[in-house]
Amino acid sequence: MLVHYPGPWSPLLGRLALKEIPYQNPILVWTFVLVSCAALAIFAAITYHRAWGYLWREWLTSVDHKKIGVMYCLVGLVMFFRGFIDGVMMRTQQVMAVGPQSPGYLGALHGYLPPYHFGQIYSAHGTIMILFAITPILIGIMNIVVPLQVGARDMAYPYLNAVSFWLTASATALVMISLFVGDFSHAGWVGLSPLTELAYSPGVGVDYWIWAVQIGSVGTTLASINIIMTIIKLRAPGMTWTRMPIFCWTALSTSVVGLSSFPVFTAAVALLSLDRYAGTHFFTPGLGGNLMLYTDLFWIWGHPEVYYVILPAFGIISEIVPTFSEKPLFGYMTMAAASIAIGGVSWSVWLHHFFTMGAGPGVNSFFSIASMLVGIPTGVKVFNWAFTLYRGRIRFDLPMLWALGALVLLLTGGLSGMMLAMPAINYTVHNSVFVVAHFHNMLNVVGFAAIGGINFWFPKVFGFKLDERIGKRAFWFFSAGTVVLFGSMYALGFMGMPRRIDYIPFVSWRPLLMSEEAGIFLFLIAAYYMIKQMYVSIRDRAQHRVTGPDPWRTARSLEWLTHCPVPFYNFALLPHINSRDEWAWRRQNGLVNLRPDHYEDIHLPNNTFVPMLLGALAFGLGFGMVWRMYWLAGLSLLGIVVAVIARSFEPDSGHTIPGVRIREIEETLPEELDGMEPVADVAGGVVAFQARTAPRAPAQEP
Amino acid sequence: MSQEAYIKPAHAVLWQSHPPGHDVISTKTLGFWLYLLSDSMIVSSLFASYLVLNHRVNAAAGPTAGMVVHPVVAFFETVLLFSGILAYGFAMVGLKRGDKKAVLSGLASAIILAVGFLVIEGVDFAGLAGHGMVPERSGFLSAFYALVLYHGAHLVFAILWTLVMIVQVAREGFTENVVYRLLNLKLFWFFRKRFNNYTLPLIP
Amino acid sequence: MPLHKGRHLRPLWLAAVAFLTGCAQKGYWLAHPKGAIARTEWHTTILDVAVMGSVVLVAGGLVAAFLWRYRVGGKSRSYDPTFTASLVIEVLVWGVPLMIVGYLSYFSVKSVFATNPYNPLAVRRAVAREARMNGAFTRRADPAGVNAIDPAAHPMRPLRVDVVTTDWQWVFIYPKQGIATVDELVVPVRVPVKFDLTSTTVVNDFFIPQLVGEIDIMPGMRTKQGMIASRTGSYHGYSDDFSGGGFSWMGFATRVTRPAHFKDWVRRVQSAKDHLTDTRFTRVAQPTINLAQKIRHFSHVQKGLFDHIIEQVMEGRVYRTPLAMTESMTKPMKVRLIK
Ligand code: HEA
Ligand code: HEA
Ligand code: CUA
Ligand SMILES: [Cu+2]
Repeated sequence: MLVHYPGPWSPLLGRLALKEIPYQNPILVWTFVLVSCAALAIFAAITYHRAWGYLWREWLTSVDHKKIGVMYCLVGLVMFFRGFIDGVMMRTQQVMAVGPQSPGYLGALHGYLPPYHFGQIYSAHGTIMILFAITPILIGIMNIVVPLQVGARDMAYPYLNAVSFWLTASATALVMISLFVGDFSHAGWVGLSPLTELAYSPGVGVDYWIWAVQIGSVGTTLASINIIMTIIKLRAPGMTWTRMPIFCWTALSTSVVGLSSFPVFTAAVALLSLDRYAGTHFFTPGLGGNLMLYTDLFWIWGHPEVYYVILPAFGIISEIVPTFSEKPLFGYMTMAAASIAIGGVSWSVWLHHFFTMGAGPGVNSFFSIASMLVGIPTGVKVFNWAFTLYRGRIRFDLPMLWALGALVLLLTGGLSGMMLAMPAINYTVHNSVFVVAHFHNMLNVVGFAAIGGINFWFPKVFGFKLDERIGKRAFWFFSAGTVVLFGSMYALGFMGMPRRIDYIPFVSWRPLLMSEEAGIFLFLIAAYYMIKQMYVSIRDRAQHRVTGPDPWRTARSLEWLTHCPVPFYNFALLPHINSRDEWAWRRQNGLVNLRPDHYEDIHLPNNTFVPMLLGALAFGLGFGMVWRMYWLAGLSLLGIVVAVIARSFEPDSGHTIPGVRIREIEETLPEELDGMEPVADVAGGVVAFQARTAPRAPAQEP
Repeated sequence: MSQEAYIKPAHAVLWQSHPPGHDVISTKTLGFWLYLLSDSMIVSSLFASYLVLNHRVNAAAGPTAGMVVHPVVAFFETVLLFSGILAYGFAMVGLKRGDKKAVLSGLASAIILAVGFLVIEGVDFAGLAGHGMVPERSGFLSAFYALVLYHGAHLVFAILWTLVMIVQVAREGFTENVVYRLLNLKLFWFFRKRFNNYTLPLIP
Repeated sequence: MPLHKGRHLRPLWLAAVAFLTGCAQKGYWLAHPKGAIARTEWHTTILDVAVMGSVVLVAGGLVAAFLWRYRVGGKSRSYDPTFTASLVIEVLVWGVPLMIVGYLSYFSVKSVFATNPYNPLAVRRAVAREARMNGAFTRRADPAGVNAIDPAAHPMRPLRVDVVTTDWQWVFIYPKQGIATVDELVVPVRVPVKFDLTSTTVVNDFFIPQLVGEIDIMPGMRTKQGMIASRTGSYHGYSDDFSGGGFSWMGFATRVTRPAHFKDWVRRVQSAKDHLTDTRFTRVAQPTINLAQKIRHFSHVQKGLFDHIIEQVMEGRVYRTPLAMTESMTKPMKVRLIK
């Protein structure tokens, strides 16, 4: 092509050659062996149980929002684990590589990781954790919960939903394969410019990063459109905006942020790839490029992105806290307003990520104030949660513990965020591990809320709870790890320790680095219990089985109205909404254990393998471009175009499940919510609540 | 729960029978609208990049804006593009009347006009390249080409899509699927115009 | 120190000082500022932590108290699920944070100007104070006279230092003195120093925790920083923005000396054999990891070298990072190492 890069190229394999596979590096070889063994075992197990057909029909080709949501969460959890292993490796390197006297192993000068490898690890860790772990988990939860909460049968565009998922999955695959074929970027999750330019990163690492985030962010943009449309168009009759569950408000706000910010990232990365592939000069230091342009574009996305992940987390906390306080959320209206406000302000603060770039004092002042303003709606959230607890009946079930942990972390992370937002302070801690501690503090808010959310909604999707005892152990060890590790990291920040160093020049930093390592051990125990919790709960699922629609007994919003596990059609008849906390309202008025007096036909979309095919082709495109096998990239692109056109010729008729069949299914499902009888004196039970065709005007709000 | 006291549980409607079928076409077009919003964010980013890089330093002693844009060529390009969009508009009028022939001929002329635009643009760029004004020359030229080629890529895409629609209209007539696609495509074409409106006055 | 004006908050921040200095043992550089700017920055930190800390404590305390009081099995019998909105509370939870943010914004803006890299008020204030006191203050605090300044030389013209980062070393050019060093910065005490900074390759960040806050260093561009050191001594400076494989070794020794010692040092460097011309510079700037931060001295620095370096980068000169420094996972570090 137009650009000069070092090394040979062949038409068939592009830059790929045997030497690109790091088979001499023992760390990677062992990882490869482990991963392959695990993959083989899974493969063999599926074959042994003859589950391929089941997998294909029920999962891989599914367009059911719950299944796609579960697959999103699964991908996210696996990547969460991968990111954790990266974290363990980084911490271990740093504690080993202190002082000029520290020994080196495996060809490293100090510690066991050479600088370039360390750089790849934190870049992969940051990219993975934010884009391929936390984001998929949250999108997964939104996928499952939003349609249920608004009383819909599926997302607005079930087919597009599957496409989003498979794009995310193929981006994830691209990141994973970079472990074994070639390298990953060393330029941070932010793609430091101009370090990402070909002159300073001549290998394929940055290309892997480019194509992974590019494909992944297209998936996320599409998912945002889908969620917005589901909320706008598919709310059940009677669900006015002010009766919408609070999680939907945060999902809406976050999706608007996502929809409008991800394209900026797409553009920034596209221009960067033009620099690397076509030799243009957008972000080069010389010949008229402007590297600050990249930094601006990146953070115009990057900052909204961190609020993109915190908003659903706030939503989850806002669902869990009322449930376990047996009280409606305090200040619902301001909570919704605060979500919108946070989303809105997130647009005008991006420059606080480079206060030190030498913008004038006026500019820095503006962005400082704007950043601090975010603290106000966030504070409103915190106080409203506090007043939700006030005069409640508080139980400390597992989801509640995670939510409360998140709340506490939010306070400390907010404190350090407010420090960073003051330029005069920022000048001393920017790019130090103080920043790293700040954002792990905050991102762990998201992590805590996500794990809490998984525990909270798990019985809704699968019909059995996750083990509470083991889960609580995981919680306490995770919390202890967070405090010990990131507490020490804050202290190191005041010692001036820069981030992203693989060799630690000052021995005075060693004691705190050791205490961070202690934190890692706590995290290891937590991870053990998390995996054990999942394993034990699935193994003993019979004991963990829940009855009735509301396993927590005090849940509030609409999703708790249908069965656990949710049948594939969600609601036999779409519910009519009478109240903000519809399920709590029905429960308190004895309107439970009622069956509609008739059932109707349900229309659902068909399964399709096209989304998966598109995902595979996107992977081919990415992989081909990374290695500059232009034939592969070209063919994949052509394949995508042909597949999309071909699919548009296929009449998307869907299929209809007759009402009698629904009745059969419904009658096999257990309905009792023990300890709760339908209140007989409310006009004689079921008959009074038979479906009425005429929709009534929604009751006025006070 | 004050707001809930207004509904008497005994008279509440709990289930909705025969929910009003969701309007497929408006769901699809509104969603497509959101997609266009995200696309215009990309355009804005490219445009912002162009503004940032349209400076003397960024030209790296090479050509500047005045040297790469020929007002006359730009004028003809604009005329072609707008008439393409107009042709698509005629097709939409045809759609309202349910007139298959009018739709087909509108779509076909839109394609021809757009191809004309692309040809002029191609010739223009070939001329520029002949004078060494290639994207690799400077930051300014990179941004210039990125902006106009993104526009061009949209047009190629629009042409492809219109071709597909010609086949679908001919084969299936005005089914729900075809109609919503035609409406979305209309949004897409009109979005070209907005793009052009953005860029033209600002390229001196 | 502009922040001392917040009298009404004095007890608050005094308490915070006590707390923070209590844990400020050795190594907590930010808590031991030795320059006017670093000091202002540290005071801003204390103020912010004090204010935000108390808000956060209130919020956390509220949550903890409610959790304890209203837990199932607790003493409270006042369960009330109808308490879901209150105008008073809403006004308070929006209004009070708004006021606090307003208060903090005021100090933020003030401290931004005080520490503004291009023209820091803090330096000007420190110089003015020095001139006013003419060393009297210093003599009292420092009877041995180690930190005394040369009264004849005050108010001094600022010392100019041009800073160039390469992959992965520091080149300090003293244009007036016609000398340059690698990985060593020497400045006289109580004299304002003006830095011009640029990079030959990627972005770096200039930072001396105890003396002055960070400023980015960018290729093809010029940033500036001002500083004044109030104590002689040795300090650590390093880059704070990741710049590739040798980043971790990118430190430089900083010495703040008495003006007389500074003059001696300059004279010594002026007699160095190595001269710094543009061609010599292109060799110095080749990707190199200076493992032990070995110091090198140059005399006869080519006039206008700093501007020339910026121009060259803008015209497209690149110092490519060799593949071995970025790609090879098995045989890394095959670049120039200075051991
Ligand atoms: C959401 C984002 C996120 C999360 C959750 C984390 C979590 C963690 N991170 Fe990371 N991190 C980042 C985002 C994140 N990080 C980013 C963006 C960077 C900056 C990168 C850059 O510089 O460019 C970074 C950088 C970063 C560094 C940078 C060092 C440096 O720059 O000098 C370090 C070092 O210690 C680190 C460590 C950790 C650790 C120990 C955790 C721990 O909290 C992890 C705890 C996780 C577990 C304990 C896993 C539990 C187990 C499972 C989930 C399996 C369960 C499976 C089933 C149930 C099926 N992170
Ligand atoms: C979920 C993620 C998340 C969240 C929610 C936040 C929240 C905030 N962040 Fe953070 N931040 C990150 C993730 C996040 N951040 C990441 C990933 C980075 C670095 C990326 C990188 O460089 O790799 C970063 C970096 C970062 C910087 C740049 C640091 C640097 O590189 O120099 C700054 C600077 O202003 C900042 C500020 C803030 C502020 C002011 C908030 C506020 O929103 C906090 C608001 C919360 C509170 C204030 C607490 C609760 C409120 C009360 C108890 C009420 C009382 C409050 C007041 C009176 C104000 N963040
Ligand atoms: Cu130059 Cu930022
Ligand atoms: Cu931010």
